[in-house]
Amino acid sequence: MKAIESIPDRKLLLFKSCMVGQEYPGVETATRYVFDRLGVDYCINDEQSCCTGIGHYTDVFEGLTTTAIAARNFAVARKCGYPNITCLCSTCYAINKEACELLNTNTEVRDKVNSIFIEKGFDDLVYEKGDMNPRTNFYHAVEILLSKVGKIQEEKKFDFSGIRAAAHHACHYYKVKYLDVVGNPENPQLIDTIAEACGASPVRWYEDRTLTCGMGFSQLHLNKSTSLQVTKTKLDSLQRAGVELMIHMCPNCHIQYDRYQPVIEKEFGVEYDMVHMNIAQFVALSLGADPYKVCGFQTHSVPLEGFLEKTGII
Amino acid sequence: MTDGTTDGLDKAAVFICHCSGNISEHVDIDAVKKTLKAEGISVFDYEYLCSSQGQSLIKNKILEGNLDRVVIGSCTPSKHGTLFKKCVQETGLNRGGLEIANLREQCAWVHPDRTGATEKALSLLRAKLKRLENIEPLEEIKVDIAQQALVIGGGIAGITAALNLADNGISTFLVEKDSSIGGQMAKIGKIFSPDKLAEECAMCSLSPLMNEVAAHPKISLLTWTEIESLSGSAGNFMVRLKKKPRYVKDSCTACGRCSRVCPVPVEDEFNCGYMDKKAISLRFSQSVPKIYCIDPDYCLQLNGEACGKCATACKTGAIDFSQKEEIIELNVGAVIVATGFEEYDVSQKPQYGYGIFENVLTQMELARIMGINGPTKGELLRISDFSKLSNAPKSATCTSGCESSSDHSSDNSSGAETPKRIVMIQCVGSRDEKEGGNRYCSRYCCMAALKHASLIKKKYPETEITICYIDVRAFGFYENYYRAVQETGVNFVRGRPAEVIEKPDKSLVVRVEDTLNQKIRELPADLVVLSAAMVPSPGTRKIASVLNLSQDESGFIKERHSKLKPVDSSLDGIFVCGTAQSPKDVTDAIAQAGLAAVRARAFITDSPKSLDNEIAAINQLLCTRCGECLKCPFNALSLNESGRVVLDPLICTGCGYCTELCKDGAVQVAGFTKSQLKAEIEGVLEEGDMLGFVNSGIASLTCDNIGNSVLTYPSNVKLIKVPTTLVVGRDLVLHAFKHGASSVLFVEDPPDSPRAEVIYPLTTSHFKKLKEELGDSGSRIYFKKTYVPNTKGLAGTFTSLAREGEMIK
Amino acid sequence: MMSYVNEYDTPECKTLAETAKKSIRTPESMGLDRCIQCGACTASCPAARFTDYSPRQIVKKVLENDRSVLESEMIWSCFYCYSCNVRCPRNNSPVTIVQVLRQMAINEGIGIEKLAYFLEIGECLAENGASKVPGAGIRNMEKDLGERWIGIKRNMEPIRSELGLSSRDFRDTHGEVQAILESTGYFEREKWIKARIQEKKIHGFLKTDLKTDCSKNEKKSGDFGFESDREYTGQEALTV
Repeated sequence: MKAIESIPDRKLLLFKSCMVGQEYPGVETATRYVFDRLGVDYCINDEQSCCTGIGHYTDVFEGLTTTAIAARNFAVARKCGYPNITCLCSTCYAINKEACELLNTNTEVRDKVNSIFIEKGFDDLVYEKGDMNPRTNFYHAVEILLSKVGKIQEEKKFDFSGIRAAAHHACHYYKVKYLDVVGNPENPQLIDTIAEACGASPVRWYEDRTLTCGMGFSQLHLNKSTSLQVTKTKLDSLQRAGVELMIHMCPNCHIQYDRYQPVIEKEFGVEYDMVHMNIAQFVALSLGADPYKVCGFQTHSVPLEGFLEKTGII
Repeated sequence: MTDGTTDGLDKAAVFICHCSGNISEHVDIDAVKKTLKAEGISVFDYEYLCSSQGQSLIKNKILEGNLDRVVIGSCTPSKHGTLFKKCVQETGLNRGGLEIANLREQCAWVHPDRTGATEKALSLLRAKLKRLENIEPLEEIKVDIAQQALVIGGGIAGITAALNLADNGISTFLVEKDSSIGGQMAKIGKIFSPDKLAEECAMCSLSPLMNEVAAHPKISLLTWTEIESLSGSAGNFMVRLKKKPRYVKDSCTACGRCSRVCPVPVEDEFNCGYMDKKAISLRFSQSVPKIYCIDPDYCLQLNGEACGKCATACKTGAIDFSQKEEIIELNVGAVIVATGFEEYDVSQKPQYGYGIFENVLTQMELARIMGINGPTKGELLRISDFSKLSNAPKSATCTSGCESSSDHSSDNSSGAETPKRIVMIQCVGSRDEKEGGNRYCSRYCCMAALKHASLIKKKYPETEITICYIDVRAFGFYENYYRAVQETGVNFVRGRPAEVIEKPDKSLVVRVEDTLNQKIRELPADLVVLSAAMVPSPGTRKIASVLNLSQDESGFIKERHSKLKPVDSSLDGIFVCGTAQSPKDVTDAIAQAGLAAVRARAFITDSPKSLDNEIAAINQLLCTRCGECLKCPFNALSLNESGRVVLDPLICTGCGYCTELCKDGAVQVAGFTKSQLKAEIEGVLEEGDMLGFVNSGIASLTCDNIGNSVLTYPSNVKLIKVPTTLVVGRDLVLHAFKHGASSVLFVEDPPDSPRAEVIYPLTTSHFKKLKEELGDSGSRIYFKKTYVPNTKGLAGTFTSLAREGEMIK
Repeated sequence: MMSYVNEYDTPECKTLAETAKKSIRTPESMGLDRCIQCGACTASCPAARFTDYSPRQIVKKVLENDRSVLESEMIWSCFYCYSCNVRCPRNNSPVTIVQVLRQMAINEGIGIEKLAYFLEIGECLAENGASKVPGAGIRNMEKDLGERWIGIKRNMEPIRSELGLSSRDFRDTHGEVQAILESTGYFEREKWIKARIQEKKIHGFLKTDLKTDCSKNEKKSGDFGFESDREYTGQEALTV
């Protein structure tokens, strides 16, 4: 189990996420906004590439490719002096952590990756055993927020009292490397705790709380009916629980729920009274950020105006 | 201790046993005799030295010749060592004057070449003679054992152990941290039994035993008391106890008036929090001792508010708010730990909803609810339906329960519902490799689930019960019970459920794959019962650390050997039984408690106790009191008031680690001093020999076992027995090389016992250090860990090292 | 047809279980051999809940070394949500075993047409250092998500600028990512996969395969009549 006290706030490489960049850029700006206000020392480096997660989990990339790309990103982090890789996307988090473990424990793979780097003249990318520690160099942005929950409570400008919020923790954060989760991996409470600090009333337990969002990488594209049936199952449960805000920590889940909620409503003839946002966007709002210029809500499919008006933000 | 006078040849004699050809067919005994006689040594031989005639021969020769030292060439000392020791001691000779050369297992049986075997026999005998040149008498150490015992924990195991000890005449203290004995078993309404298909009333079995404890003249019962510390050593433990004030004197008649007038309701832990008790209460109506007890955290009077209602109500004036905590010190010879288990905290598996959904409970909680003296008087109700308030204790003296069971069944005024559908989930926290889970099977839960299913089916035949299991472990005669329960119509689904879901009406759904028909099922339930793992109680964990006992990775107190010493803890004189040692049911706990009592009694009555082990001895003249030796891993060494290093003979295992630590040569293991070992090296070695230093435990047995297994190795392999290889320092290895050893092999015991677990890592690091210190010669020393069956491997090592030595020669 | 060698994901071993354990896709101390078929994985699995997928049965087939599992449609239903991974009481990991099985199937050219849709991801990564939803996916999303999303996507550059970000998610990998993909054999593999798909198409396998697939899916998961479901033939990405 990861101890909250062990989570750093210095030398964080805020690891850019492809899906955030292309679908919800406001998640990145909101995270930066919050980090700035909480005094977190971080940097963003354009040399960092995609983690390969989308290709890896659609079975397109071999493990070796994924590992080599990860090793390159680790070198980027080390070279810029910000070795604590902090992800916006749970899949980036899992991919990087697993690759690091593999590079440390599997000499054959490490030698192979390094021989490729040397052959290509990328000597500065070479990964030596132990260059990164899978347990202490990899974080999800939500963990940083959790470690600052006291400060968030102190600094909050806007109180979300009475908002019935539900957390959707991302599978690739707590089910892949389950030994390194803050709290019990059968019931992670990171988002709930942070949301509560912002004044919201989190629904700490609801039916199918640990059910996947349903995106399932290739599943959304190849078995869409099943994929959306899974998504609908959770939305139904949240609707029954009277939830008005669903809070996310991964752009893949965010897409699945926010983009496809209207699709499910149309196809299944149902209606949901629920809006979606990332936990960083929620904290940013609480700290006084602009819903459009910082949180980028204009890129959301489920309109947030109703929610923002009700809470008095706009 | 060294008389250091003569080389003492005239006072020495050698006795050689033919062992009915076992030795004489391979060793030319006549030649050996001739050679030794030529050197002026008396030599005698006999067909069977172990026979009474053989022993008489030895005794007569000792007395006739006024001998003070004897070498016997025979089978391994682990076979007849004790016999020969006794034999020479009967003549008044000190056992330090006897040496046994192993001419059978380590000579005749392993060297088929007669010349080689004869030469080796000669060298073995010479080595022992050489060792005796500076005879060092061994002290007989005897210790008085305190003639009373302490049992910690008043559950069924502790009660059984205490009664067994007391019935065998041992004065016994039984200490219990709660206000009454009875433990977990007292909470269970009915228990299962291997030889009956019916369930037995737990209290009917337990209550008479509890009363017997209270009445037994040999038992001192100390409830509401905890162990503070334990010092001293086996046979003479000093135990410090803290007796908490009850604020009620022994004159209490348990009439219950105090409880009725007490205005403070307190959550009742005994009833799993399902009902309240008062701040003054009995733990349960059959409590022993039957004396009320005030909870100081909640009592108004004790928290500075004027109340005292109980004192006014009490007719015997038993309430005493001035009682103070008492410290009691006991001197006991042996301790039995019976501190029990607690249920695994099932809220660590939030997928099953315990602590989230009201109608999810554990088997122990169900057992309490089904108890006739429980919160619902034995009636089965949905938890969400019965409120605490309606069950506030009316009379705390609802005496003994089982005969009046039917009286209460219609006592349900709250409109609460009896659950129609019950699902039980097995292995919650057991057989679980995940963090927070336990890898072991908890042994009792299959039977507990079957028992509860059976009880419910008998009382409420319409109830639909489903048990979700992975394997039903109804071992032994319990299989009969399992079959009987099957016949009552209980459903069994083979699958480990994924999760429990709560519906708005507080009913539940269990999602599980029925792996036998490969269907995912959603089982509706009004009550879900989790069969929680058995884990060590907080008391067990605390006692293990206060007493410094070895624990297994789950925190249970580890026995010394699972088969041969199943109730001995890692410390001499401390025994363990019941669920403090491992998960088990009532039947097994009682059986084990009986054994613990027998072992403790045997330990206590063997007084004064003489020690078998050769142990460390401190030469106070050489000792600089640097304190290095206090690093003893068993804490056998300490500084006394005058700053001298003293040894606790009962704790010392004779491992010899202190001899390595002491830079001044002030500590030696008696019988294995540097000068004795040097002498033996000089006597036994020829140029090019391989010398083995063999741990006298498992390693020695393995060496002997090579002979038993009809395997062979070259006769230039010479073995010297040592308590552990820790006593073999740099000077001894160099001495061996000087006297012709081509290589030196350390043969060690594997880390398989609590003692060896401590010693083994020390021997390996000792070896590594030695290898470094020796520089170039370091390449000639080797280390091998042996297990008794590993005879081939060890003989192989001997052979290859001996061949290398020959090549060098 | 030659099979593809992917020595780290699918090391050549005597049994499926050995390959699964040795693969770099699976955790190092995976409890595959310790599986007790308790069904906690299947009961926890979203795919099992809505289709007839069963991680427990897949593990059983792997332990029985039943290579027919590679041909089974089942292995393509996993969501990679790792619920089985977090629940298994024996520290087995069906989800990563399925990843190995899919790689083995791909090596044999089985089910390979399913990859067609996603191959673009590799090319995109090589070119931009970032991944994106493949073109076929975008087209389906456009159909499903409609005007609002199309509008958002069209406006993404100004929105990013308004947020103070570069107008596009720019990555500067100095060609290193491209080189890594090449050296780790990605392009070679992509070429091989495309050729296999083409081969299948020519032999008409693809058409029949897909037909049976679709009807099977229909039966299993229930068809909710998504337009894109009907239109998707798995071939669009081939033209890239």
